[in-house]
Amino acid sequence: MIQLNRRSLLLAGCAATLVSIAPGARANTNPAQGRKLIVVILRGAMDGVAALPKLDDPDIRAHRAALIDVKATPLSNGFALHSAMPTLAAMYASKEAAFVPALAGPYRERSHFEAQDLLECGEVAKVSADGWLNRALQRAPAAYSAVSIGPSQPLILRGASPNTSSWSPAVLPEASGDTLARLLDLYENDPVLKPALSSALGADSVAGAIKMDSMGGGRGGPAQYVAQLQAAGNFLAQPDGPEIAVVSLEGWDTHTQQNQMLQQRFTALDNGIRALKASLGETWKKTALVAVSEFGRTVRVNGGGGTDHGTGGLAILAGGAIKGGRMIGDWPGLKPAALFENRDLMPAVDARQVFKGLLRDQLGWAQNDLDTSVFHDSANAKALTGLV
Amino acid sequence: MARLQGAIAATRFGMGARPGEIADAASDPRGWLKAQIAPNAAMMPAGDLLSAKEVLEARQEAYGMAPAAKGQDGVSAEARQGSQKQVQREIRDGLQEEIEARGRHAAATPNAFAERWHRFWANHFTVAARNAQVVGLVGPFEREAIRPNVFSSFSKLLGAATFHPGMLVYLDAARSIGPSTQVAERRDAGLNENLAREILELHTMGVGSGYTQADIVEFAKALTGWTVAGPQTARLVGLRGQNQRTKGGQQRARQQAAERLTRDSGETVFLEPLHEPGPRKVLSKTYSGPGADQAAAILDDLAANRATAQHVATKLARHFVSDTPPASAIAKLEAAYMKSGGDLSVLARAVIDLDEAWGETPLKFKTPEELLVSAARAAGAQATFGGAPRAVYTSLAQQPFGAPSPAGWPDDTASWAGSDAIKKRLEWANSVSRRMARGETPTQFLDRALGEIASEKTRQAVARAESAEQGFTLALMSPEFQRR
Repeated sequence: MIQLNRRSLLLAGCAATLVSIAPGARANTNPAQGRKLIVVILRGAMDGVAALPKLDDPDIRAHRAALIDVKATPLSNGFALHSAMPTLAAMYASKEAAFVPALAGPYRERSHFEAQDLLECGEVAKVSADGWLNRALQRAPAAYSAVSIGPSQPLILRGASPNTSSWSPAVLPEASGDTLARLLDLYENDPVLKPALSSALGADSVAGAIKMDSMGGGRGGPAQYVAQLQAAGNFLAQPDGPEIAVVSLEGWDTHTQQNQMLQQRFTALDNGIRALKASLGETWKKTALVAVSEFGRTVRVNGGGGTDHGTGGLAILAGGAIKGGRMIGDWPGLKPAALFENRDLMPAVDARQVFKGLLRDQLGWAQNDLDTSVFHDSANAKALTGLV
Repeated sequence: MARLQGAIAATRFGMGARPGEIADAASDPRGWLKAQIAPNAAMMPAGDLLSAKEVLEARQEAYGMAPAAKGQDGVSAEARQGSQKQVQREIRDGLQEEIEARGRHAAATPNAFAERWHRFWANHFTVAARNAQVVGLVGPFEREAIRPNVFSSFSKLLGAATFHPGMLVYLDAARSIGPSTQVAERRDAGLNENLAREILELHTMGVGSGYTQADIVEFAKALTGWTVAGPQTARLVGLRGQNQRTKGGQQRARQQAAERLTRDSGETVFLEPLHEPGPRKVLSKTYSGPGADQAAAILDDLAANRATAQHVATKLARHFVSDTPPASAIAKLEAAYMKSGGDLSVLARAVIDLDEAWGETPLKFKTPEELLVSAARAAGAQATFGGAPRAVYTSLAQQPFGAPSPAGWPDDTASWAGSDAIKKRLEWANSVSRRMARGETPTQFLDRALGEIASEKTRQAVARAESAEQGFTLALMSPEFQRR
C-alpha cells in the first residue's frame, strides 16, 4: 500500500505529505467490485443558483439579473449550466452527470464553520468529534478505506476507524491569496502591520497572487483544484486503491466580484473533473462523485456584486456510475414568499439523503446502519433511490 | 467594561488568556493581578532540570581532569576528550529541556502576571547561552537567581543575579583578577570590566546617568575575588600547581582553601587571593570594608540610586504601557520605587495601578515568545508548536535564552514587526490553524482569547472567513492578537 501511494504521488507529480496509510489487506470478494465514491466539499458556500440558474423561473431576473451567465448551456427542465463548465454539460448530455438543486443539510444558520462541521459530522445541531464517512467505514460491508486530498484530515474522515489516509500536494501550508487579501483588509488601519505585510509580499505580488489564484495558478484555492481531483483519481484507480476519496476545494465565498470569481472557480472545477476522469481511466465507469457546499447563497445580489451566506445550494453528481442527464428533487421557486426567510433558496432535498443513497446503492451499506449509526436518528431523511 | 478590563488584565499584564481566564479576572481585574504578588508566585517546578552547581561540577570534572604525565595519576587524552564531549552534549540537551519546561510553565501557570513580571526581570538581567561555558547555566540562573526574588527587593534581586555563577561566567567576572594581586602577576592575568560596566549601564543606573570610566574600573576591582569554585579555579589561584613553593602554616592554609574549593565546587565563592586589595571609590563614595563586603555594599548603593529608579521605571512603563510611555507613568513608578526602597512587590502594585496601562487599545507588539506563549495558552501547545518548539522559535527569530547581547531582547515594535517577521508569523499562524481543535468556531476562539479587546473589524473578518482554518489564521494574525 505504501508503494502504491508513493507511485500515485509520483503520478500526481507533486511533493507530497502522506499522513497515514490505510491497511491494504482486503478480501478478494470485495462487495464494492471496483465501485468508487468521491465526496467533494466546496468550502466557502458555492452559489448553486449561479452554477445552475433556472432560466425559466419568472423571478430570477428580478433577483439577480447581474449574476446570471448569459452564455449558460441549457440542460433540461428550464435549467442551464454556467458556461465555464462545458465538461459537466457534456457529461449531463451523455447521462454521466446529474444535479440536485435546492440541496441543504438540516442546519439553518449561516456560519461557514458550524455548517461545514455539521455537514462533515452528519449531525443536525451539535458538532461531534467524528465524521460520517469515518462512522460509515466502521460499518462498511467490507474493509473499505478512504483517502482525503487536502492539507489536513477533514472532520468527515476523523474518528475511530483507522482505514483513512490523507495526502496534500503541498508540504507546507501557505496562506492562500484569499487569506492574504482578507488580512490586508483587516490591517487597513494598522500603521505597523499593514506596511509590514504589504512590503513582505510586495504590493504587486499581492495583486499577482490574488490574480494568479483566480486564474488557476499560484497559491492555494482554485489553483489546486485540478491537481487535487487528479490525485484523487490516481489514488482510486490503483488496483488495490481505496473505495472512497474526499476532496476539499476551498475558495467559494463570493461576497464580492462574484462573476469573475466564479468564472475562475467553475473553470478550475470543470478542468478538475475532466482531469479526474482521465486519471481514473476505466474506473470512471464505476465512479460516483458528489460535490456539495455547506450551504448556498442569497438569491439576491448584494451591494458588492456578490452574494451573502444563504441556505439552499446545489449538489453536483458526476461519474460513469451516476444515472445522469436529469434534475433530482424539486424546485421551490424564487417568489419572495417561497424563499427561506425571504432571502435564500428554500431547501428541497436534505444532503444526507444524497449521501445515504450513494453509500447504500454505490457501495452496499445497510439502510438501517445509515439511518441510525452513520447519520444518527436520520430515518426521516430518506436515502434517495436510483442515483446510481 | 468589566469584561474589557478582565481581558486587558489577562492579555496585557498576564501572558494571554487561558480558557475562562478573562471571566475570572473580570470581577476585579486589578485585585486578580495583585493576588499573584507573593514570594513564591513566580517559582517554576524544577523537575529533573539540573542546578547550576550540578552543571558546573559536571563540566569541571570533565575539563578539570589532570592530564596523564610521567606515570602520575591521570587519564588519557582520549578519555578526557570523550567525557568532555559527552558533558557538552548533556548540557545542550539540558538547554532544550529548560526551554520546553519554561514554555510549558508559561502556557499553564495561573500566575501569568507573576510569569510576565519574572520574564521582565530575567530579560533585564540577561544571561544568554552565548558559549559552551554558559549554555548550561542560563536555565538555572533564571530559576535560582531571578524567580525566587522578583517580589522581594531590587537590591536582593540585583545581588542574587550578580553573584550567581551564571552571571559571573556570562560577563567574565569569574576570571577577573585584581591587577595588583600576586595571582595576576604570576598568571599574567588581570581585571575584566565587563560585569561592572553592564551592571552600571544595563542593570542599575543606565547609560549616561553620571558614572565614569573610573567608576567602572573601581567597581570592577571591588568585584574581583568573586568566582566559581572548582578545580580550575583552584589551579588559577595556585592551590593545585605542581611548582608552587610553599611551606609551613601557609601550606596548611592553602591546603584547607584547596579542599574548600573542591568541596564547594560549582558554587560562588569569594577568594581573597584574587581580590584587588585596598579600599574602592565608586561614585564619590569610599568603600573601605573587607574585600568580601565591598561589591555587595556598592550594589546596595546602586540599588538605592535615583538613576536606577528612573531607569527601571522607564523600562517597566515601556513594557506595560507603550514603546513611548508618558512621563506621568514613569514618574509614578519612580516614586513608588524610591518611596519603598526598591520593594518589587510595591513596584508591581504600582504597575498594576497605572491608569496609563489600561488603555482600551493594545499598544505593545508581542515579541515572538509572547506571541507563542499566548497562543499556547489559548490554542494549546500542540497546535502552537506542532511538536517542534525549537523550529518554531527559530523561524520566528527568538530562541529562548538566546538574547543577542547582555541588553536582552528588545522591547519595542520596530524590532519585531519587520516585513519578513510578519510573513513568518503568517506562515506560523497558518500552520497552527490547521492543527487547532475543531470543538469551537473561530469566533468562539477569538472571544475566549481576546474578549472585548477584539475590534468589530476583527470580529467581522473572523466571522466571515470562508473556513474554520482561515478564521483561526485571521484571529491569530489580528492586530489585537499580535499585540497585548
